[in-house]
Amino acid sequence: MKAAPFAYVRPGTIEDTVAELGRDGAKVLAGGQSLVPVLAMRLGRPSTLVDINAVPELNELSRENGSIRVGATVRQRQLQRDDKALAVPLLGLALPWIGHREIRSRGTVCGSLAHADPSAELPAVASCLDAIMVLRSARGSREVAAADFFTGAMSTVIEPDELLTEVLFPVARPGEGFGFGEFARRHGDFALAGVVARVRTNGDTPEARITCFGISDHAVTADVSPQLRDALGQVGSAPAEPNLRRALAERADDVAAEVVDTGGDAHASAAYRRQLIRGLLSREVSRAYFKSTASASEASPS
Amino acid sequence: MTLPQSSPRAEGDQTVDVRMTVNGNPITMALPARVTLSDALRDHLGLTGTHVGCEHGICGMCTVLVDGDAARACLLFAIQLDGADIVTVEGLGRQDDLHPLQESFGRHHGLQCGFCTPGFLMSSYDLLTHQPDVDRADLPAELSGVLCRCTGYRNIVDAVADVAEAHRDGIPAPGNCGHRTMVGRTPAGGSGTGAGTSNVEAEAEAEPGGHPEEITLPSGEPTIRIDVTSELSSSPDEVARVFGDVRLLARCLPGAELTDDLGDNWYRGRARIALGPVRLSFNGIAHILEQSAERIAVDAQGRDTGGGGAQARIVMSAERSAAGTALHAQADVFLTGRIASFGRSLAGDVSRRMFEDFARAVDRAAAGDDPVAGSRPASAVALVGSALAGRARRRWQWIREHITRS
Repeated sequence: MKAAPFAYVRPGTIEDTVAELGRDGAKVLAGGQSLVPVLAMRLGRPSTLVDINAVPELNELSRENGSIRVGATVRQRQLQRDDKALAVPLLGLALPWIGHREIRSRGTVCGSLAHADPSAELPAVASCLDAIMVLRSARGSREVAAADFFTGAMSTVIEPDELLTEVLFPVARPGEGFGFGEFARRHGDFALAGVVARVRTNGDTPEARITCFGISDHAVTADVSPQLRDALGQVGSAPAEPNLRRALAERADDVAAEVVDTGGDAHASAAYRRQLIRGLLSREVSRAYFKSTASASEASPS
Repeated sequence: MTLPQSSPRAEGDQTVDVRMTVNGNPITMALPARVTLSDALRDHLGLTGTHVGCEHGICGMCTVLVDGDAARACLLFAIQLDGADIVTVEGLGRQDDLHPLQESFGRHHGLQCGFCTPGFLMSSYDLLTHQPDVDRADLPAELSGVLCRCTGYRNIVDAVADVAEAHRDGIPAPGNCGHRTMVGRTPAGGSGTGAGTSNVEAEAEAEPGGHPEEITLPSGEPTIRIDVTSELSSSPDEVARVFGDVRLLARCLPGAELTDDLGDNWYRGRARIALGPVRLSFNGIAHILEQSAERIAVDAQGRDTGGGGAQARIVMSAERSAAGTALHAQADVFLTGRIASFGRSLAGDVSRRMFEDFARAVDRAAAGDDPVAGSRPASAVALVGSALAGRARRRWQWIREHITRS
């Protein structure tokens, strides 16, 4: 369980970093919490690790133009502690579920996105929120929306010579509410299934979307506005929470069948995962709905 | 947290100097990039309290503090941590002054085989530092980053809950950081970081015949403090003759062997120690700080081939007594690694006994007999004797003249 030998370089600037990434077999090392196990088990043997932790710009965490910008070396735990993260409530809900404290101490937000594990929390959060990834290479810079970013299990549109320099999470607007839930065998394990929910209740017609993870080769986003509206039609716009949850659960089967396309594994069958999605969807969309109505009434006190 | 400095490309077979602070000690290690922090701590610094289980980030045995936050030492390459501040379980408390967490784990029997204990201690230290108000009900989830294969979780949770209750304003800082005994690898002449962190073998290779400027002893409590007075039948003048002849003095320490006279009162030596089935083999250096007819002071440090380290200051003095000479020996001994896992009292008893044997050997030597006859096997003290051996003769001549004049 020792990594094979590799060359190592720790550039001090983004320019030097992307120059190093232009070499064959180079791989970015940020927090290393996903990469180092791969190296230890020799599932991957990059010839060079480009440690990006000495680049000051990559450690920046800021709020501007309605987004929280999280640099490539910002640790998950660092973001958890930073008040700026409060502007993106989903981060506060999701971050505690990532691995364990000891992992979050070193693991980075961007690293989790770039690694793109199908069961990971942050790719689902980024998908649900339409986060923007900023990629840099010696060839230039480009921005990619989350919907176009994840291409499959541990696969993204990042080219070998590109660096994910930062991710932009949109700040929550009034009338938005969020939910996050996952189910794992043990705390800190990758989830068997998880649901990220965002509900908007600004206008007359509430909107709801969920992003499910652990159920396919990448997180899958689905619009569940019809299900929410239909459920609210049954239970009224200010229902008791158990009633809304039950009404949503009754309407969740089709969505669950649609999003779960894993064949199942030793830990859980596809049918069990669909059942989990049904339960998580009803619970988290319901929670998100109540938060969004509270947020909407705060924003426009009558 | 400060960012590391940029660092040029190093090929896979190349070693790079990595500087970090470990338990308050600045250290430098020359490592290939692929060496993990856990391996660096264990194999290069002898800090084997950091255990290694799965080596891919699952089990949590190797949990240490990196810049104040708990992290898995097996998921970090040491080379990434240039300039970082590391605290291991060895830094948490002292044998005679345990950290409240260690004390509580003991009281609640929060350890069974003990393998996961360092991981749990460092993880719970991190937890209670950052969340002193943590609920007992949340402890199982919060401590889930470390696995206990004995499944003794209830006692572990009880132990942590107790400390949390008692320290809602924050738990005490690690109690054993600062200038502590540590033997690591430093580049040639690494006196800048203090000899307490330098590896004598590495220095010997890098600087043949050379020696560091000084041996820096830890400032904390020694692992063993020895204070022994033995009555010798020889006269002070006879004892002074032994004090002045370092080769003879060294022979009073069985198992010790002088290998080099490094000049300027520095020596390199070896010592083999046998205690029942226990076999230790030390390589070390010593520096004679003071030598007169009635007093010798020595600083010494050595590294056991099995990964332990020892440092000591030993002062021996002789004065006239009714029976002949009272030989007074005082020693502060600092141990790390596997030898430190001997109980304090056992190590202390063995060391005391060795001084008594040493005193008898000095008595025999002072009387003109062979000091080795009838002696016991060597102890850790022998290391110092090895350094005393082979003292330059002109030094003895100076002492002899001095005695003659007085």
